[in-house]
Amino acid sequence: MADETMRILYLGPEAGDTHDASTTEQQSRAARAYGAEFVQYSGHSEGELIEALKDADCAINQGHDFEPSMFAHMGNNGRCKGLVSFGHGYDGMDLESASVNGVVLSNTASFGTEEVSNQTMMLFLVCARKFVLHDKLVKAGEWTRQYLPPMGHISGETFGIIGLGNIGRAVARKAQAFGLNVIAFDPYRSSWDAKEYGVEIVPTLNEVAERSDYVSPHVFLSEGTYHMFSDDFFKAMKPTAYFINCSRGPVVDEPALIRALQNGEIAGAGLDVFEQEPVDPNNPLLKMDNVGVTNHYASYSEVAWERANTQLGEEAVRIADGYWPMSLINPDVKHHSPARRDPISWEVMMANR
Amino acid sequence: MAEHKVLIMGVDDDDPLDYERAEMADLDVEFVKANPDSEGEAIELVRDADALMMRSTPYQGEQVIRAAEKAQVLAVYSHGFNQIDTDVCNEMGIIITNGAGMCMEEVSNQAVTMILCLNRQLIQYNERTKAGNWGRGGGLPSIEPIDQQVLGLVGLGNIGRQVARKMFNGWRMKVIAYDPYCPPWIAQEYAVEQVFSLHELFERSDYISVQIPLNKETHHLMRKEHFDCMKPTAYFVNVCRGGVVREVDLIQALREGKMRGAGLDVFEQEPVDPDNPLLKMDNVIVAPHSAGQSTRSAWLARQRASQQVAAVLRGNWPSAGQNPEVASSLKRRDRMQSLEPKLEASREVLPMAVLPEG
Repeated sequence: MADETMRILYLGPEAGDTHDASTTEQQSRAARAYGAEFVQYSGHSEGELIEALKDADCAINQGHDFEPSMFAHMGNNGRCKGLVSFGHGYDGMDLESASVNGVVLSNTASFGTEEVSNQTMMLFLVCARKFVLHDKLVKAGEWTRQYLPPMGHISGETFGIIGLGNIGRAVARKAQAFGLNVIAFDPYRSSWDAKEYGVEIVPTLNEVAERSDYVSPHVFLSEGTYHMFSDDFFKAMKPTAYFINCSRGPVVDEPALIRALQNGEIAGAGLDVFEQEPVDPNNPLLKMDNVGVTNHYASYSEVAWERANTQLGEEAVRIADGYWPMSLINPDVKHHSPARRDPISWEVMMANR
Repeated sequence: MAEHKVLIMGVDDDDPLDYERAEMADLDVEFVKANPDSEGEAIELVRDADALMMRSTPYQGEQVIRAAEKAQVLAVYSHGFNQIDTDVCNEMGIIITNGAGMCMEEVSNQAVTMILCLNRQLIQYNERTKAGNWGRGGGLPSIEPIDQQVLGLVGLGNIGRQVARKMFNGWRMKVIAYDPYCPPWIAQEYAVEQVFSLHELFERSDYISVQIPLNKETHHLMRKEHFDCMKPTAYFVNVCRGGVVREVDLIQALREGKMRGAGLDVFEQEPVDPDNPLLKMDNVIVAPHSAGQSTRSAWLARQRASQQVAAVLRGNWPSAGQNPEVASSLKRRDRMQSLEPKLEASREVLPMAVLPEG
């Protein structure tokens, strides 16, 4: 007998993950409101997961292992049509394998846009105002202004953004409030968008390096962005310029960044992410007075995480009910998937239900 | 024989095709200019074309598109592509591209102009003053403080976002929008409150401005039931397409005082009938579908359309592709590496950088 009830399968955090596994009230909110069943996966083996996927219309992944081989049991090959993952980055995901199997992938786009852009602005100011060094000096009882120069005026300086997506645009807007000129490299961003945001798009990465007083990437990690920032980039930067990173550690060739800092090729850095996380306590970046660091928490606030948790459920219901998700991360799946409806606002879906 | 034949319909015989040639300089293209006088002639012309560029021609109907067996792309120069049958293009595997962005500034400025003129009663005072009639008030409605009023946008796409930005940043208006396709995070970025029914938008707004495409879903989207719930002091502005409004209902609502006035750049029938009652109403200000016009939009439309065709001929998904559902029937999909548009920054951007500001 056909099972008519819409079912969302939730793959919760495994041991050691940072997510709170004690409640799924937020993650299940959309499914409950829509009249769908919300099922928590409790298995441990590949075979158990394959069986669970057979009874679900869409899956949610929040900190669970998920092998690309699972896509062969989803999409065009099974009942479960998609996978919605917590977070912004989808560096662990095999997009092509999902696409060819007709599996629709979504993330929690933009949930932490405010938080990450604020973290970026904080690290930019920490660098520009030489905060790390002076905090340390004052606390050590040393009251001096001898280390201040060179120090920029900020207003009128140039802030270079790589990747003008949701977060890049929020950073641009905030940087403009400081009187900074914002330039950006993003080959996927149309000229009319850039004009709308008051940002000058430059045609090469190198031009961002050469012209910027502050550089901040807001790209996702992929083969194309891995070690995008290496010796060439840092050597092209001004010696007075700072490098901020709140995206993903491996977009930076970290030994190259360390060399650039040690050789004075750039003035300093503000880093929320590292190539290896948790960061090695002996990483030279942690010993430098011109480097401000945080432990990959840029996207965090309670509001942001609640939003991400509820968005997980809404996107899963969209996929389960035959819509495209609002944040489709593998558009090439359209080559392989049957037609779906355009995504619409959650409130309108509820009203039309 | 050239690798690609690009057919441009509705262009002067002596047109040098500067933008078309520049954008496709790296491709082996034969350009064919045509001004067919009949559908039959148009059908013959499109048969062996790899790309169709519809500059200005009445012959864009179903039979013409069905004859375009080789075409990979159909480019229109304007924002609106309501004259093109999307279903037939989907079936034929033809990507439709429009001139997205070619007149965002212009159209959003027209909406802002209409809103301000209505708020300030400018057209009415202009006529009175020139007629030697000096005096304020005199039967004209009160002028309300716009910074305390609500702007309701129908459609929060490229143009709607610009109207939102200008009226929020510039005039400090509260902006709400109805657009069920707009992700919530984009609305948030523009400080716009999303509402989820047209009725709510019409009830709460002091000005309603519409910027949506005309298609099957939006034809007569706004009608009596919506005008009936407007504030009697509110204004209605339309700078997109006449057909999204049921015009007889709008006329009736204006006659019955359901709203205070309207600003219209577009009409259901264009050119507008000189006897259309809307033209006789003192509280209605009008323009001849001129919202998109400027010296820039004239050339930007050509450049944009050319870039879209060039992208498809290179095997890339175009940045202004309008029928993503065509993906499953793309003729040349073996050549189309990805449905993610690949923009070439230098081509897209350099001409924009030399634009005069403002």
